Amino acid sequence: MDRPPQSTEFDAIVIGSGATGGWAAKELCENGLKTLMLDRGGSVEHRQDYPTEGRGAHELPFRNRWPPGKQADYSLSPTARPENYPFYASDDEQPYVYDESKPFTWIRPGVVGGKSLVWGRQCYRWSRQDFESNRADGHGVDWPIRYDDIEPWYRHVEGIVGISGEALGLEELPDSDFQPPMPLNIVEQRFREVLARDFDDRVLTIGRVANLTLDMPEQGRVRCQFRNQCHRGCSYGAYFSTQAVTLPMARATGNLTLKGDSVVESLEYDAAQQRVTGVQVIDAHTGVRSVYRARVVFLCASCIASNQILLNSRSEAMPNGLGNTHDVLGRYIVDHVYGVRAFGTFRGQFEQFVEYGRRPNGFYIPRFRNLSERESMQDFVRGYGYQGAARRLAPESGAGFGAELKQRLRVPGPWQIYMLGFGEVLPDPGNRVLLSETAVDRFGIPQVRFDVQWGQNEARMGADIARQSVAMLRGAGATEIVSEDVLGAPGRAIHEMGGACMGDDPAQSVVNRWNQLHVAPNVFVTDGAAMSSGSCVNPTLTLMAMTARAANHAVDLVSNDAV
Amino acid sequence: MITSQIDRREALGGFAAIFGAALISPLRRAVAAGTDPGMGPQNDIFSDEQRTLLDALCERIIPTTDTPGARDAGVTRYIEMIIDEYYEPDAREGFLDDLQAIDEYSREQRQAPFADLAPEQQDDIVSLAEQRQLDGADDDFFETIKQLTVTGYYTSEIGMTVERIYLPTPGRYDGAFPYAEVGKLFTA
Repeated sequence: MDRPPQSTEFDAIVIGSGATGGWAAKELCENGLKTLMLDRGGSVEHRQDYPTEGRGAHELPFRNRWPPGKQADYSLSPTARPENYPFYASDDEQPYVYDESKPFTWIRPGVVGGKSLVWGRQCYRWSRQDFESNRADGHGVDWPIRYDDIEPWYRHVEGIVGISGEALGLEELPDSDFQPPMPLNIVEQRFREVLARDFDDRVLTIGRVANLTLDMPEQGRVRCQFRNQCHRGCSYGAYFSTQAVTLPMARATGNLTLKGDSVVESLEYDAAQQRVTGVQVIDAHTGVRSVYRARVVFLCASCIASNQILLNSRSEAMPNGLGNTHDVLGRYIVDHVYGVRAFGTFRGQFEQFVEYGRRPNGFYIPRFRNLSERESMQDFVRGYGYQGAARRLAPESGAGFGAELKQRLRVPGPWQIYMLGFGEVLPDPGNRVLLSETAVDRFGIPQVRFDVQWGQNEARMGADIARQSVAMLRGAGATEIVSEDVLGAPGRAIHEMGGACMGDDPAQSVVNRWNQLHVAPNVFVTDGAAMSSGSCVNPTLTLMAMTARAANHAVDLVSNDAV
Repeated sequence: MITSQIDRREALGGFAAIFGAALISPLRRAVAAGTDPGMGPQNDIFSDEQRTLLDALCERIIPTTDTPGARDAGVTRYIEMIIDEYYEPDAREGFLDDLQAIDEYSREQRQAPFADLAPEQQDDIVSLAEQRQLDGADDDFFETIKQLTVTGYYTSEIGMTVERIYLPTPGRYDGAFPYAEVGKLFTA
């Protein structure tokens, strides 16, 4: 049972209920802290609020097309689909601004659970090199922590998240504590063999994914059923989400109060005590403002939203936002180089085989460019990896009608491999989020203004992603190879990071090595905002590990009365 | 490790079976067609005559063979919903005009409504439409009706579960499954 909502005093407040907020709440609650978790979105309860789960098109409204006119309400969320758009914020709930020449795509959920309900579930540990790149090439703020600092926390979260994957022993892609891998299909298996034979620096493996291949009865979770409907919510709890994992664990302690529909406007700062004393909250339905108080505050609202809250926490002592004493807050925004992809067809090959089941996962080709132990011959720094899959295309219906058409529609199209690069973006102080001076949202909160664009390093990397994908597909014997090498707008990979970067020097960073604001050590920023660089692998696993680490540090400080 | 609120016995003892049973009986809890938005037309767009005509026309595009065709799959109702919900008035009028053109052609050339013709005679008229040689019908009429029929059929219960193989809960993944074992597609 959640605690009664009338209380406004807590040991800890967690702002946000996505992957990081859920982890913060779980760790804090399990260590005995009375914790309030706030989310601006409405309630979604595990199992009971997954209305489209397990339904075929014939059982869904409009045969699972968008209801008339509805898609226009979600134009800012290109990943929202007819079967799950209620999980996203509609356009009028999340306005933001940017210069027309510098578009940014801010994809934002609108419910408790946040992006953990709809995420891609790919989980990769960062490498040693990832934590050292800023120092090595001079871009961004040097990380004050290294791989060894985070490694125990990777293990800590992996055992609970449940990650299936194949151990490879690679320095550039450290193994997690894995459940058995999902299978590659026959074309991916062949592709893997070709890469091993002809591209000695490249490995293809099944995606490492937060989908169970073994039941976890102690959590009430059942292995993946290969429906590929994760984004609708999964009553098996087969994929990691706040609802399936961290929220029930936090609730089981009796220490959690969850309040949805609670929009955090700002944090109240006491300059004399150097601490945040309250969290200003607006009720999303009534507009009523209230203040909640706690000894420690975890900012897990998502990279951009956490930056917005800090920037909007203006005080006499810090008129430009909480922690913005040296004009560093909001800077070094990164995402991943995204949008460069290639397709290759295998006409007349493997035709006797089809896929049984719908695997919610694909293959992964780890970074092979600019690895520390190899000589760099590239015209860009840092690296990229590929995600992709082989699948059979839809039948080729052709002209005509009648029994022949019907028969043709029983024959699957050829196999096709698609592969999509994810590249590291250089941290650049010029890439920043600010608050608009004129535009406000429906609560009167200043809107985020994006000033982010990718540079030459990203463009050169994108060109290499395209070239190498074509070369690999050609090597595998694909034909009709098509590549698209236009970089997506920043934000489109939904891997936004930075803005409240971690560092030792308060003049150059916003949070310290324990994710605490330099100016207010009782505030921990543990979502993507604290990331001083972005690696090229999907960030969520690292964010969860870092959150667990910070939360346990916070518990230590609270127990020692040191915060 | 922390035990969640879920009953451990439930988790350990056939949890998947209990739970899966609820998930894999979608037919039982299918929303009654036509009563809820998106499950059928909310307004009458077609006359009974037009429905009879469309039934016949769609059945020629996806006919009954060793599996049921468009008529049994209720494609006409699907098209009525799409036109009701998504078509602007002009497009709706255009669609109805095209239907009328087919019927008029049939009555003039074959002295009978389209729906009453033999299948081969119907096919001749559909071929004319495909070749854009049917007087009074839009050039894209055939492609429009073909697209609507194909989409309506393969998203219907018959298309999803009879013509194709519907696996709501596959339970496993096999990336080298022999197509010859089934000879048709799994529903996406």
